[in-house]
Amino acid sequence: MFHVKLDFENIVIGGGHAGVEAALASARMGISTLLITMEKSAIARMSCNPAIGGLAKGHLVAEIDALGGEMAKVTDKTGIQFRMLNRSKGRAVWSPRAQADKLQYSLEMISLVVAQKNLEILEDTAIGIITEHNQIVAVQTKKCGFITCKTAIITAGTFLNGLIHIGVKQKRGGRLGEKSALGITESLNAVGIKSGRLKTGTPPRIHRDSINFDQLTPQYGDKNPKPFSFQTKNFNPINIPCYITYTNPGTHAILFSGLDRSPLYTGRIKGVGPRYCPSIEDKIVRFRERTSHQIFLEPEWEDSYQYYVNGFSTSLPVDIQEKGLHSIRGLENAEIIKPGYAIEYDFFPSYQLKRTLETKVIGGLYLAGQVNGTSGYEEAAALGLVAGINAALKNRDEQPFFLTRSEAYIGVLIDDLITKSPTEPYRMFTSSAEYRLLLRFDNADQRLSHYGHRFGLIQHNQFLLSQCRKHLIEKSIRYLHQTSLSPSVINPRLADKLENPVKSGISLFKLLCRPNIHLADLYPLLPESFLRTFSKLDGLAEQVELDVKYHGYIQRQINLIKTQSRQEQIRLPDNIEYLKINSITKEAREKLNLMRPETIAQAGRIPGVSPADITALLILLKKQGVSRETE
Amino acid sequence: MAVIRLSGPDARSITKKIFRSRQPLSHRKAVIGELIDRNGFIDTAISTFFAAPDSYTGEDLVEISLHGNPYLCDLVIDACNEFGAHLAGPGEFTQRAFLNGKMDLSQAEGVADLIYSSSRAAQKISANLLKGSFGREIKRLKSQLVEALSIIELEMDFMDEEIDHTPLEKLQNKIAAIIKKTDGLIKSYEVGKILREGIFCPIIGPPNSGKSSLFNAFLQEERVIVSPRPGTTRDYIEEVVRIGNYQIRFMDTAGLRKSTDEIESRGIQKTRVLMLSANTILYVIDSSKPLKGLPDLPSHLLKKTLFILNKSDLTDSKNLRRLNEIFGKYPHLSCSALKNEGVHRIAKTIIEQLEAKIHNFGDTHIISRQRHKNALISTKKFLKLAWRNLHNKSAPEIIAIDLREALGGLDIILGKTENEDILNHIFSHFCIGK
Repeated sequence: MFHVKLDFENIVIGGGHAGVEAALASARMGISTLLITMEKSAIARMSCNPAIGGLAKGHLVAEIDALGGEMAKVTDKTGIQFRMLNRSKGRAVWSPRAQADKLQYSLEMISLVVAQKNLEILEDTAIGIITEHNQIVAVQTKKCGFITCKTAIITAGTFLNGLIHIGVKQKRGGRLGEKSALGITESLNAVGIKSGRLKTGTPPRIHRDSINFDQLTPQYGDKNPKPFSFQTKNFNPINIPCYITYTNPGTHAILFSGLDRSPLYTGRIKGVGPRYCPSIEDKIVRFRERTSHQIFLEPEWEDSYQYYVNGFSTSLPVDIQEKGLHSIRGLENAEIIKPGYAIEYDFFPSYQLKRTLETKVIGGLYLAGQVNGTSGYEEAAALGLVAGINAALKNRDEQPFFLTRSEAYIGVLIDDLITKSPTEPYRMFTSSAEYRLLLRFDNADQRLSHYGHRFGLIQHNQFLLSQCRKHLIEKSIRYLHQTSLSPSVINPRLADKLENPVKSGISLFKLLCRPNIHLADLYPLLPESFLRTFSKLDGLAEQVELDVKYHGYIQRQINLIKTQSRQEQIRLPDNIEYLKINSITKEAREKLNLMRPETIAQAGRIPGVSPADITALLILLKKQGVSRETE
Repeated sequence: MAVIRLSGPDARSITKKIFRSRQPLSHRKAVIGELIDRNGFIDTAISTFFAAPDSYTGEDLVEISLHGNPYLCDLVIDACNEFGAHLAGPGEFTQRAFLNGKMDLSQAEGVADLIYSSSRAAQKISANLLKGSFGREIKRLKSQLVEALSIIELEMDFMDEEIDHTPLEKLQNKIAAIIKKTDGLIKSYEVGKILREGIFCPIIGPPNSGKSSLFNAFLQEERVIVSPRPGTTRDYIEEVVRIGNYQIRFMDTAGLRKSTDEIESRGIQKTRVLMLSANTILYVIDSSKPLKGLPDLPSHLLKKTLFILNKSDLTDSKNLRRLNEIFGKYPHLSCSALKNEGVHRIAKTIIEQLEAKIHNFGDTHIISRQRHKNALISTKKFLKLAWRNLHNKSAPEIIAIDLREALGGLDIILGKTENEDILNHIFSHFCIGK
């Protein structure tokens, strides 16, 4: 078959959001990489909503950017509407969201992948993995047969034994109109990796010309939007609106009438769906008292004839979908291009992974994206990037890479996956990050670009830019600490702001700690060079102010991290026989035996494992003379 | 004698705040000094500092030896907690000793078993406790706190959804209500402790007013005598008398008088400390002698004082009138300890006072463990911070930190809260998802 090579260092199976990040990172790190996709033109295709980012997800995208991934840059380049969410809240939870141009996003990614050195694309279907002594040695494909490798990353999304439901009709498929992938699950099961079933869904797409826009409220993006990537310059995107409408009791009555043909309510769907992304039939059943639900109509690309009916995810029969839509204001004549549907697919419960995303059972085999039980493009891309970097490091025989919960949302995401092993599709929430104040969208580059730089995924000058920011923030804060004002200078200003006067000298830092005093209030008191610096680097002043205002809380979080870090560093050997440890509770024994955590800290985060169990484990470790060392 | 042991990097700095001495705390040296808290002198004590790693736990450690009176010990423990100490968990000293390499491997399994069994035992005890109304109360408190936190988290994690926004004021009121409940539980500790340990009634008064006679009269009158409490110092004699469902701890004390003698005035100072921790102070007055006026007591002590006008058989009508003028406004009873007249009524009155207090708590459960009290105090502290931050319109992610720490206090009683608990609340109460 063509001129395909017989061996690659790293093989990526699946060209979705996880797959492209994994393949690009690995190839850029100098590893000969093969990307296997069932359809070249479907690379980086958005299966569901035409949007990137959102609460907590925007953080993930910024972190992907800081580590050297592509999602942020491509979104900045192709997005058609940008908004910063949570502006009314504190900065730690500000998060950007963009309406994406599905076509351009995919095309842009394809061109990156095609142009990438060390990366080849094979249009084929992987059907199994070949292992020897618990190591991966080759991947088997439908057309090309066997291709050897040292590492492989499975990023198969919803394609593994994908089963699509519309009403009582079922059809095999990975997405509507695309084949599902058979063989991989069975091949992993055969080497001892367990799998389960999850479900997700998507709303219908309708034709632009059938929408009565006069009846709808448009919603535009920000006038001066912020880009996702700290590397994006001259950001000036277009601003195409979405439209808002609402369901009504009539809609709900129609939907109720179709419940007897709902695959969800007739028990046809066995997989577990995400509670944060319920179908419209779920919403009307669970929240009967609500007479209306919001619907967003989102264009799928610039000048798109196809609109995504956000809020109307459903697997009801097509005739009910149509009647339901027609009962909604503005959609009276809506013409369905693609119906909404539910899809069930295989996933591999994530306790089977190390924090590098390598499987515990098979060396060199990595899993990323929806096959890990997550949902969302952003979660997938983040996992793909981490898996790609680690596969490359493994090929180079270098130390693996992982992020802690205190460093990044990505660290939280992966730690939650391996210690909680979610049984419903996992989505990132800001509330999942206990160090939320430290993990901000605006400081992702300062937190993480040193990693991206080390792996060669971030350009040196971009890295220096983020270091420069970090340095200037620290310097500014030091200045605020060291500079005191006498009461005679500051009291008149305080009086202007109806603030209590001070009796003795006060540092600028302490002044800024007052809730009603802002950095801008202090500008007349700062040296001019400061103001020039602030004006040159966008957002620098805000970062300084935030660090000062939250100082006490940030310090509390840092102290917490310090007390945790010792436990993060104590490794648990692979061969502990948990079931034989009598000094811990039965529940903890079983949980630990199943999850097999890598560190004491991970063990402590497993539900059902108590602090007393952890002490007993520590004692056991000491007794066995296991030395404490980091990976 | 009692020994209070502090272990950890802050052991010395905390000790310095509660123990005044002329000599510095240096390794393995016993130092005499005075234990103090916010209200002043508590007891004379000896403190010995052991520098890490040469201590039992391998950490900085201080051993404070004081008189074995439980009330004094409580005061000292409270003072330590105020400066950042916490009560040791089951087997915690041994656990630390082990983790710091102070034990050899042969002891390891013993330690593991010890912790296992003591934490299991503790778990069993708390499981039993939690079965009752106390458990329901704490769980309700926790679910209210989870609800408040999920409102905050909802606003941050789902603001792009069509959610019903909770007005700030409503949330503030919710938190205020939780603070009030927490506070009620904390306050109930006073009564809870009495129910568990008995009503503490020191018998106070000038010399020769008949304190010891009254003390003996109680013991004879009630006939049910519990053996002396271990650890009682020779300075004081304490006896426990059981009446119905209650126990009363009577304590005979040194007579109150102005003294220039140093040793005696120390004794009197200590009596003042006992008055602080008393539930009811029995202040005995010799009613056969003329009295100038009300004894000089600060109002917080006066509030819990029951004046006993002793030697009622020896008084005259003129004196009686005078006594009525002085004590009319304050709780008082007459008796003759020697003739055993009116003694039973005193005990009855003490119990009636307690029952009135219990009645005041109404439906609120009464807590009786210091561990629970401390956990609730921590919860209350962070709830107040959250309330203030809400009031100042601080960022929600800040308030969430406060509420999570408040929840952490209840976790000490109920076990850890999973993030999942908060998300569960959100998903089951709010229609989320586009």
